[in-house]
Amino acid sequence: MREKIDQEVSVVMYYSARKQVAQPHTISWQNKEYTIKEIGYKHSIKDGDTLHHIFELTVNEADLWMRLNFDTSNLHWKLEVVSDGLAN
Amino acid sequence: MDLRINDIQPITMHVDLNSCYAIIEQQANPLIRNKPVGVAAYDSPGGFIIASSYEAKRLGIKLMRIREAREICKDIIIMMPDPEKYFDAHRRFKAVLESYTNEVTPKSVDEFVVNFAGSRALQTGKSLINVGYQIKRDIKKSLGNYVTVNIGIGPNRFLAKIAAGMDKPDGLDVIQPQDIWNVYGQMDLLDLPGINYRYRARLNLAGIYTPLDFLEAPMFKLKKEVFKSIVGYYWYLRLRGYEVDGETFKTKSFGNDYAVGKKTSDPDEVSRLVMKLCEKTGRRLRHHDYQAQGISLWLSFENGTWWGKSKRTKSLIYSTQDIYLSAVRLLRMVDFPAKVTHIHLAVFDVVPATPIQLGLFDGTRLDTKSLARASDKINDRYGEFTVVPATMANMQDIIIKRVPFGSVRDI
Repeated sequence: MREKIDQEVSVVMYYSARKQVAQPHTISWQNKEYTIKEIGYKHSIKDGDTLHHIFELTVNEADLWMRLNFDTSNLHWKLEVVSDGLAN
Repeated sequence: MDLRINDIQPITMHVDLNSCYAIIEQQANPLIRNKPVGVAAYDSPGGFIIASSYEAKRLGIKLMRIREAREICKDIIIMMPDPEKYFDAHRRFKAVLESYTNEVTPKSVDEFVVNFAGSRALQTGKSLINVGYQIKRDIKKSLGNYVTVNIGIGPNRFLAKIAAGMDKPDGLDVIQPQDIWNVYGQMDLLDLPGINYRYRARLNLAGIYTPLDFLEAPMFKLKKEVFKSIVGYYWYLRLRGYEVDGETFKTKSFGNDYAVGKKTSDPDEVSRLVMKLCEKTGRRLRHHDYQAQGISLWLSFENGTWWGKSKRTKSLIYSTQDIYLSAVRLLRMVDFPAKVTHIHLAVFDVVPATPIQLGLFDGTRLDTKSLARASDKINDRYGEFTVVPATMANMQDIIIKRVPFGSVRDI
């Protein structure tokens, strides 16, 4: 089941110069910490001049998929949607 | 005299992404992999599934309404389309193919034709089969491990597409000129790309019931009796492996569709929806630097009837207001027999917008053009529908972006 969240969340991100990869590592949401298990897909969208990076990922602590939006205009993270991978 | 089968080396490759939208969603969300998934235009029971995963296809779920799909599999996962993600996948897909040759032609979001004639890969003596397997690996690296593609290699685009469909999913097949008889012998007419029910009926009337009959039919019969045009000659060549589908046609029209979520027969409400389609169409028209010389409007109604009209305009249309004024003239002719379910608006006979040609009786049209360009610049910078005509106030989310079928010129 997918649920729209649209809440700002705290995120720890890392960047590897060797792999040339920047991605979220830990997400704090509803007083729980989630570490990233797998980034399924990452793409960028433009809203006018503002670039947003969209990360779709799963976490280690639960059977949970998340869609995270990184707004490059203010460097804020938003958790847009979560899903348990089951039918609605 | 009969034309022989074209016996050139197969160097045309057709690559298509398996169950494109569904597999990209499965790639993005590992929790829905290996499960029946449908991507639907709306998530209401009447919403139409436009793409289904292989797991869903195996259950018989293809293009159908969600309620019908749920009767087959109550646990099917329904997703709404995410066009930006699919466009991103398209661009990555294209970049992989362009690393092999410049001769890459997108046929749709999930289909490409690659011509390897003169490519570096072939010059270095690599077999196209090995190149195909390398492309599969590169696509996994670029889009993700779950993504698979079908690859077909043939003497022309038509046979390459047939080859790509022979071994789904994740196949790689080659049709050599000498295989053509055997391949056609295992197919029905409707399996041939480009042959629909109407064409099959025409062929049947002429005594052609199988692809082999089609191949053996003389050219004059196809041209004079079956298709009654040059199309018959093209089919004669295409079936024999000669390339007739390589031409790229120039843009003739721009249009937008909208399946009305909240059906209505209120002319004012329909007019507002038409306005938003005008803005979307106008944005695309101007983005490609065209102006149009005609407009068409089609409405479908809940009772199964439809209304449509096309009209050439006296002057060139360019701004959203130009399009809307012409559309409203058409809309005033409609007698609504029921609620509107679907709206299609298009502008046609497009010509380049620059250099600007001023008409004698255009009044302040130059100002309209400047205004349209200025508002496009603002919307480019601050996001779609930041500046809109007053008619469109508070309509931001009414007509959302949809995935395109066929054309990829806006990606």
